[in-house]
Amino acid sequence: MLDFIFDILFFITDWLRTTFLLDFAFWITETSLSLFMVENFWNVPIAQVVHITAIAAAFGSLLMVVLRINEKAGTSVTVSDAVARYLPWVWYGLLAIVLSGLLMITAEPIRNMVNSVFWIKMVLLLVTVLITLGFQKSVAAKALAGGATFEASSGTRKTGVLLIVLWLFIMLAGRWIAYVPV
Amino acid sequence: MMYPEPTNIWESIEYSSFGISIAESLWAFPTIESLHVMALVTVFGTIMIMDLRLLGLASNKVPVTAMSSDTLKWTWIGFVIAAITGTLLFISKASTYMVNPYFLTKMGLMAAAGLNMVIFHFVTYKTVNEWDTSGVLPTGAKLAGILSLAFWLVIVFCGRAIGFTLGIYY
Repeated sequence: MLDFIFDILFFITDWLRTTFLLDFAFWITETSLSLFMVENFWNVPIAQVVHITAIAAAFGSLLMVVLRINEKAGTSVTVSDAVARYLPWVWYGLLAIVLSGLLMITAEPIRNMVNSVFWIKMVLLLVTVLITLGFQKSVAAKALAGGATFEASSGTRKTGVLLIVLWLFIMLAGRWIAYVPV
Repeated sequence: MMYPEPTNIWESIEYSSFGISIAESLWAFPTIESLHVMALVTVFGTIMIMDLRLLGLASNKVPVTAMSSDTLKWTWIGFVIAAITGTLLFISKASTYMVNPYFLTKMGLMAAAGLNMVIFHFVTYKTVNEWDTSGVLPTGAKLAGILSLAFWLVIVFCGRAIGFTLGIYY
């Protein structure tokens, strides 16, 4: 089973090697930003620390929103208040995640861009962002209309849990970028 | 594959059949490490939320006791998973970790973070009824919050530094 998954992932990476991404990645390695990132030993680890801290902020905030909607934590405030307190941090966190991620890609463009797991992660991230946008819009409107006694529908609760699961898969993919056969 | 005869306890752990099976597996180390990341961002994320409340910087409408019970359970769930997965990662390369200064610093800082938490809960927290709903907290609480943020940030840095320096010190 594992061999089969590795084979498929390797097959995709092999195909990525035939696209413009390979030349593009090589071009990035010669930019001054890429050279800056690799010339100091600590630049990549520091970018990763920023990346992880931002994930902690975004994921922790999302967790608190989803727990509040499911009435598992944070019930001392309304859903509206919890969403207003935490959801912006998902976006601030995401901004820092993207910026630090771009630096990490710039440092090692071939390892990242010619890598099937990297693109699986990017698709998962895009799907997560789109679902989060819809989730935010619908929860904010419903919670505001429902007032202090608002209780989320089972669909909203499940969407929240789905977002948590998607983030966990994004983290899984993030770590496997470094280990998948390429 | 043959492994050398262990000369100390760390090598005995590393060259145990369990240690070897994690180290030799294609999927075990990355999978355990992925779980470690999921757990540690849960720990760090929930701790940051509590620390910001202790500093009076966010969620000041939420009583400190309520914020503590909202976050602490998840902090502990994350911590237990991070500790178990961390131990499994350690077992696979025990002697390499034991000579790595970032690993040793990380363990020391985790002890310090634990001590900070113990002091907060058993000393500062005794008077929580006086400042539970306030946005202005006693110096002890603020100090616990800022120390916790600093400790955990450096712990994450050490964790990443270990991965980049594993081959250097042995």
